[in-house]
Amino acid sequence: MSDAIFTIATAAFFALAILYVRACEKLRGAKR
Amino acid sequence: MTANGCFQILFYLLVIFLATKPVGLFMARVFNREKTLLDPVLRPVEKLIYRLTGIDEQREMRWTEYTVAMLLFSGVSMTLLYLIERTQKWLPFNPQSLPNVEPGLAWGTAASFTTNTNWQAYVPESTMSYFTQMAGLAYHNFVSAAVGIVLAIVVIRGIARRETEELGNFWVDTTRCLLWILLPVCLAGSLVLVSQGVIQNFKPYTAVALLEPQTVQVSGADGKTTKQQITQQVIAQGPVASQEVIKELGTNGGGFFNANSAHPFENPTPFANFFELVLIFAIPSGLTYTLGRMTGSQRHGWAVWAAMAFLFLAAVTATYWAEAKGNPLLTATDQRASALQSGGNMEGKETRFGIANSALFATATTDASCGAVNSMHDSYTPLGGMVPLINIMLGEVVFGGVGAGLYGVFVFVVLAVFIAGLMVGRTPEYLGKKIESYDVKMAMLAVLILTFTILGFSALAVVKPFGIAGISNPGPHGLSQILYAYVSSTGNNGSAFAGINANTLWYNTSTGIAQLLGRFFMIIPIMAIAGNLAKKKTVPESAGTFPVTGGLFATLLVSTIVIVGALTFFPALSLGPILEHLLMAAGKVF
Repeated sequence: MSDAIFTIATAAFFALAILYVRACEKLRGAKR
Repeated sequence: MTANGCFQILFYLLVIFLATKPVGLFMARVFNREKTLLDPVLRPVEKLIYRLTGIDEQREMRWTEYTVAMLLFSGVSMTLLYLIERTQKWLPFNPQSLPNVEPGLAWGTAASFTTNTNWQAYVPESTMSYFTQMAGLAYHNFVSAAVGIVLAIVVIRGIARRETEELGNFWVDTTRCLLWILLPVCLAGSLVLVSQGVIQNFKPYTAVALLEPQTVQVSGADGKTTKQQITQQVIAQGPVASQEVIKELGTNGGGFFNANSAHPFENPTPFANFFELVLIFAIPSGLTYTLGRMTGSQRHGWAVWAAMAFLFLAAVTATYWAEAKGNPLLTATDQRASALQSGGNMEGKETRFGIANSALFATATTDASCGAVNSMHDSYTPLGGMVPLINIMLGEVVFGGVGAGLYGVFVFVVLAVFIAGLMVGRTPEYLGKKIESYDVKMAMLAVLILTFTILGFSALAVVKPFGIAGISNPGPHGLSQILYAYVSSTGNNGSAFAGINANTLWYNTSTGIAQLLGRFFMIIPIMAIAGNLAKKKTVPESAGTFPVTGGLFATLLVSTIVIVGALTFFPALSLGPILEHLLMAAGKVF
């Protein structure tokens, strides 16, 4: 059970980080 | 402080200075794909790797693709390390039959080694099998260091290139970094360490009879203490040299043994100690030269180096002074340095290293994001222990971690030229690139994620029982222990005020999250700046351009680093080490 939780937590963190990359990229395109 | 001690510190800085150009030049050649002496041997290996993995070495990536590739690589590597730790009982090279690592510790350790932190909430020799140490931890020592270096190279390319979105290929850069830089140096370096007495074997641990049996008190589970006679000592063995060299060169810091570089099998001689110190700064210092070389402004590279060297000297002087002065409350003890003793505060330090080499190691390891220790920072005087803490709080940009130091200082360079631009009322420029609002926003995101993570987790830990339960000293020193844990984790350093018991579910998971945020959520906005800079045109220098090559720039850079650090962390420091120092002066210790 713990193994599943920690594995999912790891995947969730890196998914969040990839979303952060997209957010930073979008911010560059945003008009001031 | 002795003349001998001061000479050793200055000699160390001189060696680092002399190594900067050759190391930096070599790295520039490797990442520019120019010819090197190692090409006849390594180029066929490189080509074979690309053929087997289907990598097109000519294809370059945008910053987003490069960053996502790095994140996926790190995520998969972290999961693999977790699995190795959780299954080590059934894997080979486990002569001590060590059990699987429990889930919370395994996850915290996986996060720690993936992020180049190497925070260790466990005793390695009684927790990790040889297989886990080699295939799990040492593997991460190599790849996390390579990731840091290639990201720094991307930042340099972002500054140097113009009107392009292409910043290199993550897989190619990482492969070249491992093949040309890390593996050859580690191969040679581990032999140097073996020559000094660092062990390298797969033997089971050795049991030896004590010459003088010891009687110790042992607390049972019921709380009762009983006397027990110890007649035997178990001496841990293992493949130490191969892990030791990358531990320092990659500024990883995770020891094969719990005592880290204070252990005679990891750091047996004065030369081994000096060699390890040089390894810690070799690549970070060299990268300043690489920066100058690849951007075409060698003087800028040296200006950054000078700012770093100034901060290093200030920190090592403060630590050495504080430790050499000793504890003022020990009035009946002779704490003066003499031919017979190091003098000063020797608690937690190796007699063979003395004050100067302990202070030097503590400073270098926290200036860089290494975290290896040859003395116990928890036992330093309040001010002496505050310096390593501040070094990490400043973002570990004083030479810094491999790659991390350079991309960390890049954030401060952006802020420094932005401030200079504000002063004269012009759009700031950096090596011909205009620094605009997007760049400054991203730089601030990188700074704020560190602050938010460190102070947020520390605040939570000091008010909750699960946080306070880990500290071993009450009062301001306890706060310092907690603060150090989150500063070290978020800064990806890995050293500790080791009195704290961090092997709990709270500390394993919270420090793991801090490490991941401090590494990846800092990197992403920095990569965004690099991508943005690469797209820009260069503008010619004019009379209004702030020069980033001289003493004025170096001074402004140092000021920016110190002011941002001071404004952010002074309140926390005043409640921790500063208060502890004042109370010590008033006669109270913790």
